[in-house]
Amino acid sequence: MSTAALHVDHHADHHHKESFISKYVFSMDHKMISKQFLITGIVMGMVGMIMSLLFRLQLAWPDEQFGILETLLGKWAVDGKLDPNFYMGLVTIHGTIMVFYVLTAGLSGTFSNLLIPLQLGARDMASPMMNMLSYWFFFASSVVLLISVGVETGPASGGWTVYPPLSALEKAMPGSGLGMTLWLTAIALFIVSSLLGGINYISTVLNMRTKGMSMNRMPLTIWAFFFTAILGLLSFPVLLGAALFLIFDRSFGTSFYLSDIYLEGVGALENIGGSPVLYQHLFWFLGHPEVYIILMPALGITSEVISTNARKPIFGYTAMIISLMGISFLSFIVWGHHMFITGMNPFLGSVFMILTLIIAVPSAVKAFNYLTTLWKGNLRFNPAMLFSIGLVSFFISGGLTGIYLGNAALDIQLHDSYFVVAHFHLVMGSAAIFGMFAGIYHWFPKMYGRMMNKTLGYFHFWLTFITAYLVFFPMHFMGLAGVPRRYYQFTLVKEFDVWMDVNKLITVSAIVAGFAQLLFLWNFFYSIFKGKKSEQNPWQANTLEWSTPVERIHGNWPGEIPTVYRGPYEYSRPDREEDFFPQYIPDESAPEVLQPEETQKAPSEKEEETVETSVFFAAIKRVFGLS
Amino acid sequence: MKFNTLRVLNNSLIKKTLVLLFTVLTPLFALAASDVIEPPKEFSISNFDWVSIFTVVLILLMILVIARAFDIGSLTEKLTGKTIVSWNNVNAYVGIIVLILGMIGVWYELNYHGKYLKLGNSASEHGSTYDSMFYWTFGFTFFVFVVTEVLLFYFMFKYRYNENRKALYYFHNNKLEVIWTIVPTIVLTFLVLRGFNTWSKITTDIPKDSQEIEVFAYQFGWKARYAGEDKELGNTNFNFISGTNPLGVAEDGAIKELIVELEGEVAKLKVKQATAADSIKVWKAKYDRMVSTGLNRTYPEDFKAVKDQYNDAISGAYERQLEKDIKRKKTALSRIAEYRKDKDFFNGKASDDKITTELVLVKNKPYVFKFRARDVIHSAYMPDFRVQMNCVPGMPTQFAFTPTMTTEQAREIKGNKEFDYYLYCNKICGGAHYNMKIKVTVVESEAEYLTWLATQAPFVAPALPAAPATPSTTDSATTTTTPTVALK
Repeated sequence: MSTAALHVDHHADHHHKESFISKYVFSMDHKMISKQFLITGIVMGMVGMIMSLLFRLQLAWPDEQFGILETLLGKWAVDGKLDPNFYMGLVTIHGTIMVFYVLTAGLSGTFSNLLIPLQLGARDMASPMMNMLSYWFFFASSVVLLISVGVETGPASGGWTVYPPLSALEKAMPGSGLGMTLWLTAIALFIVSSLLGGINYISTVLNMRTKGMSMNRMPLTIWAFFFTAILGLLSFPVLLGAALFLIFDRSFGTSFYLSDIYLEGVGALENIGGSPVLYQHLFWFLGHPEVYIILMPALGITSEVISTNARKPIFGYTAMIISLMGISFLSFIVWGHHMFITGMNPFLGSVFMILTLIIAVPSAVKAFNYLTTLWKGNLRFNPAMLFSIGLVSFFISGGLTGIYLGNAALDIQLHDSYFVVAHFHLVMGSAAIFGMFAGIYHWFPKMYGRMMNKTLGYFHFWLTFITAYLVFFPMHFMGLAGVPRRYYQFTLVKEFDVWMDVNKLITVSAIVAGFAQLLFLWNFFYSIFKGKKSEQNPWQANTLEWSTPVERIHGNWPGEIPTVYRGPYEYSRPDREEDFFPQYIPDESAPEVLQPEETQKAPSEKEEETVETSVFFAAIKRVFGLS
Repeated sequence: MKFNTLRVLNNSLIKKTLVLLFTVLTPLFALAASDVIEPPKEFSISNFDWVSIFTVVLILLMILVIARAFDIGSLTEKLTGKTIVSWNNVNAYVGIIVLILGMIGVWYELNYHGKYLKLGNSASEHGSTYDSMFYWTFGFTFFVFVVTEVLLFYFMFKYRYNENRKALYYFHNNKLEVIWTIVPTIVLTFLVLRGFNTWSKITTDIPKDSQEIEVFAYQFGWKARYAGEDKELGNTNFNFISGTNPLGVAEDGAIKELIVELEGEVAKLKVKQATAADSIKVWKAKYDRMVSTGLNRTYPEDFKAVKDQYNDAISGAYERQLEKDIKRKKTALSRIAEYRKDKDFFNGKASDDKITTELVLVKNKPYVFKFRARDVIHSAYMPDFRVQMNCVPGMPTQFAFTPTMTTEQAREIKGNKEFDYYLYCNKICGGAHYNMKIKVTVVESEAEYLTWLATQAPFVAPALPAAPATPSTTDSATTTTTPTVALK
């Protein structure tokens, strides 16, 4: 690599004094930004979960009155019974928060920021400034979204996919008024944040790897973040376009998505020639890669955690990368499987069905590789490892139902039923959140220099794992019985009423799961301040981030950045006594010769700035193949 | 590397939190049990209350594990100063227990709720093809599901940490990787081909003699339109929709009525526009009076309305809205006028169409449902027939199928005398989405269907004095349209 020039030694010659604001608020340090993303993500996650509990209460006890709800929600729960429009709003905002704010920004934002520089041996991101902006756009977006829940007409309530015309016509639903405007604003800000982050991740991965860190020595986490960033960069702008068209339709009288509409109390509208299905195409062009934007970082984290705690090399490193690559590529051409029954040409449906089922092959390869990594390993079950195993379990059980839904013929019956709810909550909801938990438990020592409590972690894992299955598994059966999703209550339809007991079981399990998360919250915040002090390499891992000192310093390494001598998964090598062999420790038998002139550059601060911009442009050149 | 000396942390704060947590959890589980204990009202299979037994066993097991981990472990540890409980082993065992209980749960659930699943006994011709496709997929995926989940937890148990063992240094095995790339590919190819055939058959095989029925969706309900004596459905357009013509059929009388109505509205709006300045003055005065007398604080609700009106007035929103409304109505009028010039469009075929609030189908007769929606996207979902299709405003869609089981037969099979087929809405469409359905009845013979159809009023009642006028028509409409019908 020619990046040796970037091995800037900040440490020795510049200690700028950091005020509270520059250190904790508008920080440009990737580790601080990652913590900001994480904590915002956790807060948003709690909000999303509380919302899900509220609407689960409604589904399990539709005729019951909960006085507490009226106290909490006021006019949205008169006499303690949730309002149907607000129910829809809760469902919508729950989905939006979980998909975008927790599992995209909270997961990818946290761990890409933390791990890309640390695992690649870089002092910081390619552009720390953009990194900071990325967080603050995300923060602004979160605030706007949360405000939208409180507006008088209620939050956006057309489902997280906000299909027009429902979301485009203010008169179609109360939530399509100001709430929807704020939703669109929040998403636009979110996309800006996501793009700023994505560009940064890509350029850092391509340009700022330390000496010896060739692409094929990168940990799988980095590979996953890299592909995730590419997916985001290519697909989020399309959503921005879709959102802009929607804004035009809502406010400026255009007809991108509207045609032939008669509204009760208003009359026939002028719009003709638009197509609501166009929005769905644009939305799912992001929407499907988004699923992998959520899942791939979790898979990357799992690869790292499983290998470390099985004390065994990850099985099929190259196959894993090729699978990720295949999934990334295919994810762009399968969006139509969300639209089999929208009335699009049946032939198009067949094409999308074939492409969709192909994506199951790389996914299967990944699952088998995880299993083989566990085979004949020496498994240490710390909470991170347990959550990773949980992820594999969810990935399998949720992924398999994808074979039903990706099949156009089977989708006729299963589309928009509880089967779909079960499928995506297992494969991208639970699996990704388990990946996130695994990451938090594993890298907590790196973030805060302290350990999280293991025992609480075990309880957190088992309670969450069992209740997640209890919540989502029975939904398969409801879906097969034809129970539609997004119904406010089922008591009005006799056929769905027989599922009342299952609905109660699901709600109770969800409440228990909610309490289990309190264990995590307590553990997390308590350990930040009072946790046991961490060692430098508490999990005996191989990767570069564990060569940094426990105190998190600006620039990551006090001296020069370590050189990398081998791949990241050299565990239990037969020729070594210890069961791990870190990437940064030279081989005794054949030590690589360092080239001194490359590592000893110590440019002044002024040069540093130019380095930062040049790295950014170099990355752009590289991405577009200009260099 | 002494890793598995995982000491149980003797942290009293943790214990307290856990005790607190479980005191909260236990009543919750009790609550779950008490609600779950009630067997489903209509189908009680046995006297054994398996759900509560299952729940109790689960709770007991959890408590056992916790007790073992906490009390015995930490106490003996304190006494002997040695590690007794290896958390690593506890986790491995819990994994196995969870796997076994989980598999029992799946099996139990399949038994207990299996009869409600819409699999087998499908009420349509393509339904059985669908079901067989489903069973094939289920066979493969369930096999993979069981094998991989069992392996996962078995490995977790078998290869739990042991200080004296070293993991296998095993990077990759090309042969193995090729096998598990090729095998899923073959299986998926099979499923894709089968799915492709099923899908093509369902979506493109439409018998020539199928009867067309229009299924129309709106917030929040369904209407069906059957062809009358001419066996053909008349044309429609969204501009024709009015209170008396909910589907917007091209029927001259109704349209004339609509034109009068729209022109009246435009005139009214124009009056409002002309007197806008005066109205605004009045609202301003009202607002000022409320503020000056302090009534705004005594009647906040009323004041809000007054304030909104006032704000609209002073910001000019009121006048802009009037302008917009007039423009929209004029556009509608001009479009209607344009359509009326087209005699092929106004062919009179709509007059005898019958708009109904339920669907009656004949067994073994092919149908094509033509879907329309007038406001937002809806989805027509008939799970018993394995039918679903979105209803999109501005984009007509269709679904062809043949019912094969009458309502009576379905009632017999399900052992439920009150059972009825329904068509549900399955695309989020607003507040009352959950209650948007229409009854579907399948009858044995054409005669039964014709008897029912005869009871349904046509859009325009025949101009006989004795015939009862339908609510959707007025005298003027009947008189003007009868000649057109007669001509045809």
